[in-house]
Amino acid sequence: MATNWWKNLVRSKVLLSRNVGERHLLLGNEAIARGAIEAGVKVVTTYPGTPSSEIADSLSYVAKDAGIYMEYSTNEIVAVEVAAGASLCGVRALSCMKHVGLNVASDALITLAYTGVRGGFVLVTADDPGCWSSQNEQDNRYYALLANLPCFEPSNSQEAKDWIVYAFDLSEKFELPILFRTTTRVSHTLAPVEIGPIHKSLDHGKFIPDVKRFVMVPDFARARHVALINKMESIKELNEKSSFNKIIEGGEKLGFITSGASFNYTMEAIDLLGIEASILKIGMIHPFPEQLVKDFVRRFEEVFIVEELEPYIENTVKASTINLGVKIIGKSNNFLPKNGELSTSIITKALAKVLGKPLPKNFISDISFEEIKKILPPRPPILCPGCPHRASFYAIKRSMKGMQINCTDIGCYALGIQEPLKIGDLLICMGASVGTACGISKSQERPVVSIIGDSTFFHAAIPGLINAVYNNHRIITIILDNCATAMTGFQPHPGTGLTGMGKQGKRVIIEEVVKGCGIEHIEVVDPYNVKQTCDALLRAIEYPGPSVIVARRKCSLLATQEKRRQGLKIIPYKIIDDKCKKCFACVKVLGCPAINTLNGTIFIDFNLCTGCGVCEQICPYKAIEISRDELW
Amino acid sequence: MVEKCNIVIAGVGGQGVLLAAEILGNGALIEGYDVRVSEIHGMAQRGGSVVCDVRIGERVYAPTTPDGMADIMLGLEPIETLRYLRFTSSETLIVMNIKPVKPVSVLMGMVKDLSLENIIQIINRYYAKAILIDAMDIAMKAGNPVVQNVVMLGVLASTNRLPISVNAIKESLKQLVSPKYLELNIRAFELGLKAGETYSLFRR
Repeated sequence: MATNWWKNLVRSKVLLSRNVGERHLLLGNEAIARGAIEAGVKVVTTYPGTPSSEIADSLSYVAKDAGIYMEYSTNEIVAVEVAAGASLCGVRALSCMKHVGLNVASDALITLAYTGVRGGFVLVTADDPGCWSSQNEQDNRYYALLANLPCFEPSNSQEAKDWIVYAFDLSEKFELPILFRTTTRVSHTLAPVEIGPIHKSLDHGKFIPDVKRFVMVPDFARARHVALINKMESIKELNEKSSFNKIIEGGEKLGFITSGASFNYTMEAIDLLGIEASILKIGMIHPFPEQLVKDFVRRFEEVFIVEELEPYIENTVKASTINLGVKIIGKSNNFLPKNGELSTSIITKALAKVLGKPLPKNFISDISFEEIKKILPPRPPILCPGCPHRASFYAIKRSMKGMQINCTDIGCYALGIQEPLKIGDLLICMGASVGTACGISKSQERPVVSIIGDSTFFHAAIPGLINAVYNNHRIITIILDNCATAMTGFQPHPGTGLTGMGKQGKRVIIEEVVKGCGIEHIEVVDPYNVKQTCDALLRAIEYPGPSVIVARRKCSLLATQEKRRQGLKIIPYKIIDDKCKKCFACVKVLGCPAINTLNGTIFIDFNLCTGCGVCEQICPYKAIEISRDELW
Repeated sequence: MVEKCNIVIAGVGGQGVLLAAEILGNGALIEGYDVRVSEIHGMAQRGGSVVCDVRIGERVYAPTTPDGMADIMLGLEPIETLRYLRFTSSETLIVMNIKPVKPVSVLMGMVKDLSLENIIQIINRYYAKAILIDAMDIAMKAGNPVVQNVVMLGVLASTNRLPISVNAIKESLKQLVSPKYLELNIRAFELGLKAGETYSLFRR
């Protein structure tokens, strides 16, 4: 994996530390990993996804030393099923994913709530308000409601670490899966964490059959639903008095109810405005501690609800305090928005407006940022120098001449929408490129391409591809195989054969799977070979049925790192000034960050060039050559 | 010590914004403070714009700096420094690397460039205190352009505006940088420190 090995080493020492009381700076995600180790977790499963990835990645790194089995599962539902299987044998299991991953896993989770579990089972969902790295900003607290499962919402790394330990205990006590919801700002904030003791737990258990409990045919499912409702009633009683909910007393003038990341902003906003207020911080947001909330709310005339995204707490508070006549201020009064992240600034401004308070000093700046913004060149994330996806996109553009519709997918290649490649007309969710392409091909005349990565292919594209074969959809699926789950941190996947335990297992070959799906026209190309890739695409266009092209070339970041490690030289390309006619084709067609311009001339930045050679193949004047000077 | 110290670090993916932030955050922990360091992973790592907050104090809650409340803006790249000025006020100390990394949109001639002279004009117009340093030049003297971030930490440490001692930052470096590159990083930090000290003298 292309990661910072020294940083991994430093962190793994902390994750395995036996020095109780020691303080370390940990990401919320790393704190969760440490908490799981303290809780004696034995099986960890995941499908990587920002902002959740570091939880399982750091556990993968220490798995052997910590006596943990860790796997990168093919997708989130498989991850939950694997962890559930372990838990049903009495072993403690953790499954981590990003918010949209839980959509995939929800089918398993919701019925698992009925069967219940045996060994502690915690499912971490890392939500992404503000869509920092996601296709939506759904609020997964509603999954707690939908599945009727307990859900914790920590505010910082320390809570994340401590509460995971408790979540395992609670799960085991009530034999229920527990949801653990973080958001980007909890998962990706470094904060001090005090190390606790590591508990022992079962290495191996056994599966004791119990048909009425584990086989969810309708008759048994009905009874298990009642069992779930009863368990949740008991947990609600517990939550009314639990120390996970706490009141920060500040008089009877104003009341606030909040949770998770929003709590942090609320504390600072109240401080900045210099107001007196009492705050109820809810740690376990489902089953909702109604009585606690009622007793709190009745102390005030007005209670502010501060939460990100949906009005979950607000609606629940309103429902439980409807007869108290207290004004509840939240999303429905437009106090706070239903979209995006909150921040100290947003809450401070909103509160100042409602309370008629002056804004703190410096909030109204004397600097005209809007004017400055207008002249700033944008710097969106882009494909890396030498990225094989760039080469594939160039080949698609050249061979299809803009006639095609590009259904793209989740991964680095979504960055292909940027200038100058502009590949990507539709992007919905993992695997959707194939299914949507089927529908589009049936409904209009232009050729349809589905673009999907290697890991995403294994995750979600196989049923779509079988559908294309079965229903004879004339689509071209281009599988961009860069030999890693690159976007989320270069995790391995079935195509690499490398496992979460760091062992080389059996590789699942993409083209063999594709063949097994019934696809008859399959070509494997090297995207760095522009002509080969273009020719394959032209043949696919002519083919009268569904076709697949596997464009295989290792991620340039990974390849460069590997070469350096092996002491191999990276030989950059250069522009021969005498031959260069300044047509700027290389600059304007590829958009490779290694190709720069300065005062009307073009040059290749040898620090960035990975030596992929794609620019050499597209220069109409043969003005790009491999450098003779070995710079690395 | 000040009640709270908010440091905003801006730069381009690959410049080591996150590492610089972690070194400061870890330094604060060594000094016994509460601290929050915000990171945004994922899309931003791919040569995109990166911003990171380090918030140090007796008790810190939020990971991000409220608008206008940055005590220090540490800019590893001029355009990115400008992009996040909304976190600053005219009282903010600006510590900026004057070595630009041109966005691809500019390199391709699709977007108008913003010259360094323009950027410096804007900084000088609004801010009473600004240290503008060629960190690339110093990093090359230290031995490798990749340590520009640590050079900038050295410059920052020279200002006496941090609640963290020079020794705590060095200790933090020792903990976070691989032994193989520690010497290079310490050298970069000390050259930055020296450059900062002479710069301050020169300005006053």
